[in-house]
Amino acid sequence: MQNKSTSWYKKPENFALLLIIPLQIIMNLVGLFPLIAEIYVSFTNWSPTSGDWYTAKFIGLENYYRVFFKDVQFWQAIQRTLFLTIACVLTEFLLGLGLALLFTDNFLGKRFFTSAILLPMMVVPAATGYMFFMMFQRDGPINAILSMITGQEVKINWFVFGDTAMFTIYLADVWQWTPFMFLLMLSGLLALPQDPINAAKVLGASRWQVFRHVILPMMKPLITIALLLRGIEAFKIFDAAYIMTHGGPGTATQTVSMYMLEIGFRAWRLGYVAAEALLIVVAMLLFAWFVVRPIFLKRS
Amino acid sequence: MDIRAKKKIEKIMRYVILILATIIILFPIYWMVITSVKPPEEWTPTPTNPRLIPTHFTLDNYVFLFAPFGVMETFAQFRETIHQPLMSSLILSGSATVLALVIGTCAAYAMSRYKAGGEFAPFQLLMFRMFPPIAIIVPIMILYSALRWLDTAHGMIIFYTVVNMPFVIWLMKSFFDDIPKDIDEAAMLDGCSPPQVFFKVILPLVKPGIAVTALFIFIMCWSDFLGALVLTYRYWLTLPIALSKYQGLFGYLYGPMAATGVIAAVPCMVIGIVIQKYLVRGFTFGAVRR
Repeated sequence: MQNKSTSWYKKPENFALLLIIPLQIIMNLVGLFPLIAEIYVSFTNWSPTSGDWYTAKFIGLENYYRVFFKDVQFWQAIQRTLFLTIACVLTEFLLGLGLALLFTDNFLGKRFFTSAILLPMMVVPAATGYMFFMMFQRDGPINAILSMITGQEVKINWFVFGDTAMFTIYLADVWQWTPFMFLLMLSGLLALPQDPINAAKVLGASRWQVFRHVILPMMKPLITIALLLRGIEAFKIFDAAYIMTHGGPGTATQTVSMYMLEIGFRAWRLGYVAAEALLIVVAMLLFAWFVVRPIFLKRS
Repeated sequence: MDIRAKKKIEKIMRYVILILATIIILFPIYWMVITSVKPPEEWTPTPTNPRLIPTHFTLDNYVFLFAPFGVMETFAQFRETIHQPLMSSLILSGSATVLALVIGTCAAYAMSRYKAGGEFAPFQLLMFRMFPPIAIIVPIMILYSALRWLDTAHGMIIFYTVVNMPFVIWLMKSFFDDIPKDIDEAAMLDGCSPPQVFFKVILPLVKPGIAVTALFIFIMCWSDFLGALVLTYRYWLTLPIALSKYQGLFGYLYGPMAATGVIAAVPCMVIGIVIQKYLVRGFTFGAVRR
């Protein structure tokens, strides 16, 4: 029943197009076009100090060759970031799940404790970095508290040694993101159907057996999504860690993001960093396609 | 052991664990807040006094940040106000939130109801969010240096709009998907055209969703550190950058630094508590809804 007097934008297909065009324009302009420029730049030795990107010298595959065969620091940074990601995500998951299990029934102060536990998630990561920077100073409160507990003066230089500096980064990440895991696990636990759990209890299963054989299998899809999302986020680790250590001492706590910042935006070797960025993007795309997509499609 | 005694022990254990966890969780925030209201001689603990409770309350640290004359004259050489970073944070986060919301809400509706952009479009956006920000900033740096957009307001607003677009689309799409399609069809039968259905019927229904998304995106923009670190250098520095910049500049000027941290952190914490119910949905791109 198409009416001739109807304006063109009132047709459903035209209206839908109209709604989505601004998105297409802005995403392609800032998202896609620069990506194409980046592919070109990754074959040059461009540095913004030497002129515009299209005037840079074309050097073929040299950047890629360097990344794969010459750049030890890059691969060390990747290793370090992966190690940190796994350690953080596992700790956060276990702590988050453990805390969430305490919240499945009602008790006095439940809302207060929930809000308190969620608080770190809403702190600006840069501020988290500064908090931990302040707390772990040589004359900071952590050493003071340790002195009180042990009864002797503790003067640890947390940020001077690679291992302790890494440990503070780990602590800051766990502090900030355990609430995220807690929130996800709690929402999962509260949404579980009660019948199978009650049935298992009636049949005489112990609490551990109920958890291990009834609750965990039902939670599996949610746990997968939680680990995946947190893992992807943790791999980006930068803000708090950079404020705490700037990658130091030396390069002992340098993550991938910090390394690329250093090479790209401090040494201004943007052509080289473009090659590294593209490699990471391609790796992430493969990961997204083969791992993330099936999980997300299954859910929605 | 009798069951009631066992239940009681369990109850006490739960409170012991929760109180310990709360203390550990609140301590860093507590330390930052009390440092921001302490006079200089109490900033660092001494062997005999860990200074866990402030004895003298002062607002000098905040005055030092906003009108640094007449207070703490010993640190006069470090004077630098935070007017400019505070204003840039407010202007950039506010404008980017509005822009992202307008563009994103329209597109999300088109995707939810008309499958505009194809089935694959929302997932494409999600992948964009997976890359480490530094990998996205490299190409944007290429574009912005060519357009001379570095360290400009419009450059930063567009940058924040683009990087947060996946959140807007996925969140708003989940809110639109929650509204039954019957409502659209009923409105159509009543003689509404597609634009009328969207603006007059559906938009009013998702108002709470829009509010939640707006607050969520505001937090995301406000928290950004890496983008502002690379793409601005003078006129549009934001609060998180001020935090790291003053850290080197002030050295061990803990008081004013902590005050800066409080100013940067408090708005997000307040907003976060307001939208607590929706945080799961936000951080999981609408995949998990309570």
